[in-house]
Amino acid sequence: MIVLQLVVNGVLLGGTYILLAQGLNLIFGVMGIVNIAHGAIITLAGLFTYWFVTETHLSPLLLIPPVFIVMLVVGGILQRLLLEPLAKLGRSRELLTLMVTFGLSYVLVETALNFFGSQYVSLPDLQTTWSVAGLAFNEALVAAGALGALISGGLYIWLRYTASGQALLATSQNPVGAVTCGIDVRRMRAIAFALGTALAATAGILLILILPLSAPTADTLTILSFVIVALGGLGDYRGAVMAALLLGLVQSGVGYYLGGDAEVVVPYLLLITFMVVRPQGIGHATR
Amino acid sequence: MLGGNLRVRGGALFAPLIAAAVLFAASAAFAQKPIVVGASISQTGPLAVDASYHLKGIQVGVADANAHGGWLGRKLVLKYYDDQSNPGTGVRLYTRLITEDKVDLLIGPYSSGISQAVAPLINKYERATPMPGASLPAIFSAGNKWAFQLLPPATGYAEGTLPMAKAMGAHKVAILQAQLSFTLACGRARLDQAKALGMDVVYSTTYAMPPPDFSSIALAIKSANPDAVVVCSYYPDAVGLAQALHRIGYAPRFFAETIGPAEKQFNSAIGPIANRIMSNTSWWPSLKTHGNAAFIASYKKMFNEEPDYHAAGTYAAVQVLGAAVKATKSLDQTKLRGWLATHEVETVQGTFKSSPTGLSLKFGQYMFQIQGDKRVLVWPTAVAQGKPEVPYTGQ
Repeated sequence: MIVLQLVVNGVLLGGTYILLAQGLNLIFGVMGIVNIAHGAIITLAGLFTYWFVTETHLSPLLLIPPVFIVMLVVGGILQRLLLEPLAKLGRSRELLTLMVTFGLSYVLVETALNFFGSQYVSLPDLQTTWSVAGLAFNEALVAAGALGALISGGLYIWLRYTASGQALLATSQNPVGAVTCGIDVRRMRAIAFALGTALAATAGILLILILPLSAPTADTLTILSFVIVALGGLGDYRGAVMAALLLGLVQSGVGYYLGGDAEVVVPYLLLITFMVVRPQGIGHATR
Repeated sequence: MLGGNLRVRGGALFAPLIAAAVLFAASAAFAQKPIVVGASISQTGPLAVDASYHLKGIQVGVADANAHGGWLGRKLVLKYYDDQSNPGTGVRLYTRLITEDKVDLLIGPYSSGISQAVAPLINKYERATPMPGASLPAIFSAGNKWAFQLLPPATGYAEGTLPMAKAMGAHKVAILQAQLSFTLACGRARLDQAKALGMDVVYSTTYAMPPPDFSSIALAIKSANPDAVVVCSYYPDAVGLAQALHRIGYAPRFFAETIGPAEKQFNSAIGPIANRIMSNTSWWPSLKTHGNAAFIASYKKMFNEEPDYHAAGTYAAVQVLGAAVKATKSLDQTKLRGWLATHEVETVQGTFKSSPTGLSLKFGQYMFQIQGDKRVLVWPTAVAQGKPEVPYTGQ
């Protein structure tokens, strides 16, 4: 029964990781850049959720649709203003985009510090635990896992079976080829960044129900998300799902049998192992 | 009768003149260069919640001292920086306070880890410094004679839990510790205490900070099925572990966490599962300590909230420093150190008395329990406001 509960915990934790990493993965997959501001967007959304719920006493889940839409727009604007001008700069583009997103992260973290303070906060919402066949399922973890699965499933269907999704996939695989096929790659890059930003913000809304967050948590979340994306195969959507689940399951087992210190090093040990044994990541790259 | 009237009239005539003279003298004194008190505070990072009270206590202490004419007739000014919960940054900031800002007096930072990093610097520059955030006894070794502990030692944190639990029939215990100086010292002491009490430690682990996801650790605790769980924690891990135990539907009979439950936001962070969690404190509003009522009133007036023991500890640090400055009539660091090492000072936190190496000898430790929306002092029985409510139910 303990092993089954560890598997349940690992899958639910993995679902949360999927939610954390898919936005970063999408942006890397299409634009080839690491969005250093990813963790800051998650954290800012989480802290905003804390403020909203404590002020209004409404369910945090109500925030998901409006925040998703607003952050789609914000992401699109940020991409057009900050990143698109760098797209034609050749080899220096990668370093410059890294610097721009680092600057964006700094601004967002400072904004969060000014508006929400530096303290760790968490919300006691969605804390019901259901017992099914002797196994415990927590409401917040189930919600995060379900949303992670929904987003990954939705992304997969969109990328595989819709014209706009295939255009995005084509842009990620071969931007020059995509242009020759008449795909507006500028638009695709804007869509990818907008969607990635909205997914990160959605992750933040649920993460505040699972972990205490504070503005400086942003760096930790960016690093964790990047480890998952790298384990999955940098831009590989199915790979990221497998990496998140693997990480959740291994952490669950290691935390139980070896304790809290060992649990923390698992993502980095897995990353080093994969970089040596299978540098292309878990999945087959779709880029 | 006439003479009496004349005396009254004379007094009435002179009263404004005397008042003006006193005011003039006071303003002249305050016109002197202020005494600058320097400190670094963790305003960001995982220690920020607890450290915010650390800062507020100093601010209230400085304000109260100024309201009573300052020290040596000079106004006090507080200068502080954010060490980001980082010991390395703390060392850099204290170096800056000493060598660049040239502050007159220092108060130690929040947490044992940062205090431990800063203590050698304080010794190098020979600055007599009260350390209200340093519970780790090792900091106050023979080599660190300029730092003075303003807290009970870490080894006494949550020390009331196991005797209380044992008296109520508990035998199996789980002890968890964050990987930081204070929490490790606290955890080791609780493990030793469990052994001395003949209790069975069925689970023990350490974890990194910032805290990880606690799901697996919670499950391991559930598997070990202890009667009492003692966590040597700070705020975020105290919140995280209570939530994780609730998520797997497990509630040990006794549940104690250090530091986190002392903060008022602990209840709003985890909701009803905070009920019946125990924690320790080195100060309590109902204690009849020196200046306690005035401290509480000043704190409430300044911040519109109740103080916690971190604030009381730093307020006590200002009281101790003030007593030394007034007694020696000096800011000379050698004189201050000599006085602090040999004198007792009554503070809001109890009696300050130091060993020759700066270890605090007389501050007490108490246990409180969250009972609904109240916090009730439950140990030791001599000062307890009520009895501990058991079992912890996780709701």
